[in-house]
Amino acid sequence: MTGLGIALAAAMLVAALVVSDSLGLGFDRAAHAAHLPDVIVRFDLQDTARVRERIAALPDVAAYTVRQEVTGAGFETAGNFADNGAVEIVGRGRRGYAIVGGRDVSGRPGEVVVERGLAAAWGLKLGGTLDIDGLGDERIVGFSESPDNVSYPLAVPRVYVSEAAVYGAGRAPRVNLADIWLRDPRNLDEVLVQARSTSYGLRGVRFVTRSGVRVLLDQAAGIVIDLLVALSLIALATAAAMLAASARAEVQRRLRGIGVRRAVGASRGYLVSVQALEAAFVAAPAATIGALGGLLATYGPTTRLLVLLNEPAPGSALAPALAGAWLGAVAIPVLAAAWPAWRAAGRPPVALLRGAELSGGARGRARSGRGPAIPRAGLTVLGARLAGAHRVRLVATAATLGFSTAFVLLMLALASALSSLETDPGALGRRYQLTANLPASAAAHVRSIAGVQAAAPRYEAGAVDSFSLGETIDVIAYPGDHTIFEAPPLVSGARLHGAHEAEVGLGLAQALGLTPGSTLAIELASGPELRLRVAGVVSSLDHDGRIAYVPAQAMLAADPGTADGAQLAVRLKPGASASAVSAALGPSATPATGAVGRGVPLVAVLRSILRAVAIVDGLVCLYALIQACALIVQERRRTVSVLRAFGAGPSAVRRLLSGAVIALVAPAALLGILLERALLGPALAHLAASYVTLSLGASGTEIAVVLAGLVLAGAVAVAWVARQIARESVIAGLGAS
Amino acid sequence: MPVLEARGIAKTLGAGRAQRRILDGVDLEVQAGEVVAVLGRSGSGKSTLLHLLGGLDSPDAGRIVLAGQELTAQTPRALAKMRLRHVGFVFQSFHLIEELSGEENVLLPARLPGAGRDGERRARRLISELGLSEIAGRRPHELSGGEQQRLAIARALVNDPELVLADEPTGNLDRENGATVLALLRNLRRRAVVIVTHEPEAAAIADRVLHLQDGRLLADDGRLSAEGARLRTARVLRESA
Ligand SMILES: Nc1ncnc2c1ncn2[C@@H]1O[C@H](COP(=O)(O)OP(=O)(O)OP(=O)(O)O)[C@@H](O)[C@H]1O
Ligand SMILES: [Mg+2]
Repeated sequence: MTGLGIALAAAMLVAALVVSDSLGLGFDRAAHAAHLPDVIVRFDLQDTARVRERIAALPDVAAYTVRQEVTGAGFETAGNFADNGAVEIVGRGRRGYAIVGGRDVSGRPGEVVVERGLAAAWGLKLGGTLDIDGLGDERIVGFSESPDNVSYPLAVPRVYVSEAAVYGAGRAPRVNLADIWLRDPRNLDEVLVQARSTSYGLRGVRFVTRSGVRVLLDQAAGIVIDLLVALSLIALATAAAMLAASARAEVQRRLRGIGVRRAVGASRGYLVSVQALEAAFVAAPAATIGALGGLLATYGPTTRLLVLLNEPAPGSALAPALAGAWLGAVAIPVLAAAWPAWRAAGRPPVALLRGAELSGGARGRARSGRGPAIPRAGLTVLGARLAGAHRVRLVATAATLGFSTAFVLLMLALASALSSLETDPGALGRRYQLTANLPASAAAHVRSIAGVQAAAPRYEAGAVDSFSLGETIDVIAYPGDHTIFEAPPLVSGARLHGAHEAEVGLGLAQALGLTPGSTLAIELASGPELRLRVAGVVSSLDHDGRIAYVPAQAMLAADPGTADGAQLAVRLKPGASASAVSAALGPSATPATGAVGRGVPLVAVLRSILRAVAIVDGLVCLYALIQACALIVQERRRTVSVLRAFGAGPSAVRRLLSGAVIALVAPAALLGILLERALLGPALAHLAASYVTLSLGASGTEIAVVLAGLVLAGAVAVAWVARQIARESVIAGLGAS
Repeated sequence: MPVLEARGIAKTLGAGRAQRRILDGVDLEVQAGEVVAVLGRSGSGKSTLLHLLGGLDSPDAGRIVLAGQELTAQTPRALAKMRLRHVGFVFQSFHLIEELSGEENVLLPARLPGAGRDGERRARRLISELGLSEIAGRRPHELSGGEQQRLAIARALVNDPELVLADEPTGNLDRENGATVLALLRNLRRRAVVIVTHEPEAAAIADRVLHLQDGRLLADDGRLSAEGARLRTARVLRESA
């Protein structure tokens, strides 16, 4: 039983470790492996020689490469197709990506290196072919990974071909991307200032810095990472508490033995080392099994998530941490066994022989004088009192159980929050059901279609903030009232009014320090700047909250070009059929995606990780309950045997046990619910607050489900222990101390 | 009809090389109102015999009839019910439940499911009859050994059993307290009492003294017990009348 507990705790420990280590350190590992440049500069196509000249003039440059990046390329394989691919034409010099399978392009024609995320999503194999528009069938020679962006399907698909393969012997005459490595990254700001001034004449310059990449990655995966790391930490604490509790219980059971050995003259150190060795003997194999289980449960899903993030699976880098976790899973029970043994061995043997409690003095302090009232409710109450006899233990076990319960509740709340984000566009404040690739002028016609309540052009453009480089912002504009179509909840301030105000997402507000009344200064991807007064802050998970709603007038005035990409957002009347309206709109209509259109795979992966963690935790909960129950009986084995000697049958024993379990579960359930609603839920929601307002307080249904689960677990525990008791002879139990 | 009748009881304990036939053909009959003392050296199998008689364990061979019902044929559940209704145990180490007061300990068997109804009233009467009223509210660790054993006797009687089985009831008591407890056991009217002991003082209060030796019960004069029992029956009936 103790071994099982250690195995489960080790599984939790390792699961937490895999998740937090992989995700927490993934970026640094990936940046290191890929030799990620300090600055990536993108600009409109320019003469290669001229670009090189400019970069050479910058201070502190350790190395650089320039290349051409072709966007909007068509990729095709047997079963897959994309028309928004990026082809990077790489020359000699450093790469800025890591090869994680096969080899790099050699310079011979017909070879391509594919980003691993794309390979995983499309099932591409080394030696297979990828048809690239304009280049034809290319043989896949390697897989790459570069953390300068997340990977397909979160971002556009990306491949690398060699310069020589495209331009023969010559070099690319024109380039639009430069990777720059600095001698000392601390000089970055200075270099950027210089770069901006020397970039005069280059058009459409955009800088991406290493820290900017971090921001970008955080945008895509930040919430996931934060949530998982937080969950893992909680799991860790629970696991440690359990390990300690079970080891301590073991010593408690042996107090008399310790007393006897002390009485016959065994030294304190000897007793402690015996206890520690015994604990280690049980813990080592159990921890091994548990660690393997935890690893198996979480490694797969975590690795899938890492592929999406363009980060390498930790692989052997995890080994030291795993070894640490294993050691911890062994050391905690060993210490937890050694410490009470040390304390116990220090007390007079007589006290131990009399069966004094570890918690010290509990017996001495026992209520004296008139005893409490005779138990009217009988055995159930007696059971509760047996459980309560070890008050310290009861509190510790109930606390562990409460924590577990809170944890399960939190995960349920999180899962339901995630699935509502995934499936329900409304969760994002999105109120239109369809989009149509039609010009703004078609809006009036669309409005006349039966079932359509409102239709308006929706403009969307990418932008960066004018001050801090690297904050990419999704700018959305409607003519008139945007809340008809998109009404993300207001966190502070008011809705925008007039042509000079904007609403910003919470993520953006936090990144730029914006509050209602401050000024939002952004640079549209096409160049022009937009300055607007922030009217309000809204919560939105789209683009991780780095989003701005602006008036269409302002956006079109700054860049009339955005009008080209506009779509019509179509809101249906309540009860109207989306498919009927869709048919009337023709082939240009598509349903609006749920919250995380592009993030759905991310959410799915996250959910599978959560599920793995939740299963382990559920088992832990059940285990803690059964163990607590078994412990109570173990320690009161004689009591139960006396009852049986006086004719208590199986049903009486079950009632007794039920009492003990209720005394344990009732406070644990209460504690768990309070903990989740008052502490864990809000804490996690606060962590996620830069992205979105998630309500992570467990709902009534979730609480009911968990309570039912606890009752079931309690019933299982009672049945299991009752069976154990029935198998034991009364005489053996009477003899037990 | 005797309250308890055991015929040809055999019991082997231990496994492998440690295996030993502890009881080998024990015969015993106890009438209502009779106090029987079983004497024997340590390790002779006295406790083992008592456990079999009270239905805590089952013999390898032989049959035990208690209050007209054959114990050996019962399921564990039915055995528990038999113990509840017909048997009261008194143990050498009292076995009171630490978490409960003396009074609650006495009441406990009466509160078990299936117990008769009069338990509560009987408990109060027993407590006052045994002079425990003063101390009944205290918890066991606050009581002397003699007080604990008196409570244990009250507990053994609370369901009004026909048979009381006492395993070294005075083993943990000083002479004076031991005498009180023995007197109590002596005066249990109408009940059959079996006291297992290795103390001659305990034997002195018995109607009949048997010796457990080499797995068999022998009467005082060395003859087999069953015959001795029959000889004494008439005197017992005369006395209790
Ligand atoms: N579970 C067991 N397995 C093997 N042998 C056992 C077991 N229980 C008791 N014995 C042996 O059976 C014999 C009889 O034991 P029992 O407890 O009945 O003796 P006893 O007459 O009550 O002794 P005492 O006067 O010391 O209480 C002993 O030799 C003991 O070692
Ligand atoms: Mg004995």
